[in-house]
Amino acid sequence: MDLFLQTLINGILIGGILICLTIGFQLTFGVLHVIDFAVGGWAMLGGYTAYWLVTLAGIDPFISIFLVFALFLLIGRGLGPLIYRVRTSRYARPDLMALAFTFGLFLFMRGGALWLWSYNSRSVESVLSGQFLSLGPVTIPLMRLSAFLMALLFSLGLFILLYRSRFGMAVRALAQNRDHAGLMGVDVKRVSAWVYGIYAGLTASAGVLIATIYSVNPTVGIRYTLFAFFVAVLAGLGSVGGVLVAGLALGLLEAYVATYIGARYSLLIVFGTLYLALLVAPKGVLGRGI
Amino acid sequence: MASKPVQTPKFIVRAVLVGAMAIALAVLPAFIDPYTLRIATGALMWAGLACAWNIVGGYAGYISFGHSAFFGIGAYTTATLMQSDVGASFFITLLPAIVLAIAVAVAIGGPTMRLRGAYFAIATWAFAEMLLQLVTVLDFTGGTAGLSLPAYLNEFFFYYTMLIAAAASFVGVWLLIEHSRFGFRIKALRDDEPAAESLGIRTNLVKVQSFALSAAITALFGSIYAYWTTYIDPHSVMGPEITDQMVVMVLLGGLGTVWGPALGAVLLWVTNRYIWSTFGDTVIYLPILGVIIALVVLFLPNGLISLLVGRQRGKELISSILSKL
Repeated sequence: MDLFLQTLINGILIGGILICLTIGFQLTFGVLHVIDFAVGGWAMLGGYTAYWLVTLAGIDPFISIFLVFALFLLIGRGLGPLIYRVRTSRYARPDLMALAFTFGLFLFMRGGALWLWSYNSRSVESVLSGQFLSLGPVTIPLMRLSAFLMALLFSLGLFILLYRSRFGMAVRALAQNRDHAGLMGVDVKRVSAWVYGIYAGLTASAGVLIATIYSVNPTVGIRYTLFAFFVAVLAGLGSVGGVLVAGLALGLLEAYVATYIGARYSLLIVFGTLYLALLVAPKGVLGRGI
Repeated sequence: MASKPVQTPKFIVRAVLVGAMAIALAVLPAFIDPYTLRIATGALMWAGLACAWNIVGGYAGYISFGHSAFFGIGAYTTATLMQSDVGASFFITLLPAIVLAIAVAVAIGGPTMRLRGAYFAIATWAFAEMLLQLVTVLDFTGGTAGLSLPAYLNEFFFYYTMLIAAAASFVGVWLLIEHSRFGFRIKALRDDEPAAESLGIRTNLVKVQSFALSAAITALFGSIYAYWTTYIDPHSVMGPEITDQMVVMVLLGGLGTVWGPALGAVLLWVTNRYIWSTFGDTVIYLPILGVIIALVVLFLPNGLISLLVGRQRGKELISSILSKL
């Protein structure tokens, strides 16, 4: 029973971070209609940035996460117009071209990281590393708890931005109908570019949290792209609200499989479940929409 | 079969070009050293793989990110059946490899190709990663240690096997897709799926057929590759880099064309080997691939072949590139 409770807590804590990882991805799909393969790449680069900031400048990841967010917000903002151009171009299949473009972007990130930093895993140290909080039968690593809270903070920030600001209203209008939003005076290109920036910033921040809990190496990107896909497909592509449920579901699934069946089967079962989810509920558990 | 009016001069030029290329490829091994021969064999393999990917990605318009799974299925079937406790001969293992790949393609493609393209891309990718994990934990595949095959060190044998397989793939695509009703159906569903359906095309069936054909060819090359390298492990035959290369080769050469994939494959494979022999490793190759994909999508969506076929179109493309810079 203790083990069951402990696994439950672990699953929820990881689930929170997966929410932060996927929420920006969903926003991008909702607004730009682009499936971004590079989602794991952003997370990986965020982890590396935090690693270099703590190693070279001694900035704790829980502080540098805000720097990482700002940095990747700007990088994503710079890249956004390119993605927008590919997606709205007059090619035969702009959706697939956009998919191929982000695939190339991801390959560039993964290959570049391998080339620069090789296969070694690096762990990001924080002052909270190795500290625990005991609550009755369960022990909670402080690091995971803080990462969970930080992920929730970022996700909450996104919701406030979306539903309590003029910019958020423009984003939601774009997600509903791009042409109509444009006719109502929304600067479609600019808002789309900022959405991509916010997505890159959020995902890189999630990557910092993941790197503090586990570690980071150039090939983790693939794993987190698949996790983001899993959460997004389960939630329904483009559904920001559904991510809250689907992220926790994946966190719990992974935790229980790792505890009761064996960690080496966890990826296998996660991917198998994703495949089945695609077959059974292709529209996701909560349907579409922001 | 609808007969097409034959444009004589163009047709003859093409026939002569293809014939000359066939003869050149057939006598090539006599003139080059063993190292170059290995590169040529690899180029043939990648040309065939790119051709296979192009059936689904280029003609049917469904981008698959899971073709490494079929390559691996072929390689592992041949490797498993050629272990000393089974002892099947190489050519006999090709049949189960292809049958297994088709069965898997139908199982994956049947349900997911009903959905929109993005879901198909995700599903195939998830499936390939799952299979990679599976062969890593299973016993009969040798886990991470991989499998060794009985060595057959005859480079000529592998060159000609690859040549025949690649030639068969290209002729198959040329006949089935460029010159048959099946090809019209595939292209119709790519260009406008609801319209194709309203004309009585059973789009789901056609999609699954094209995916199965593509998977079968991919598995065939996986089988030959396993016997050629004599040692396979999960990452060498099922790693994501295999799919990466197939996608880039087709995009670079030209989606949905007969010769584009071959052009892209040969160019990229020779570049890959050159980087490998100059710098000693190929990690730098990955970011280069990524940049190539991004640039092709941005500036040359019809691939390099569009520069060669129809000079007017090529000129337009070049001027449009220059105006964008």
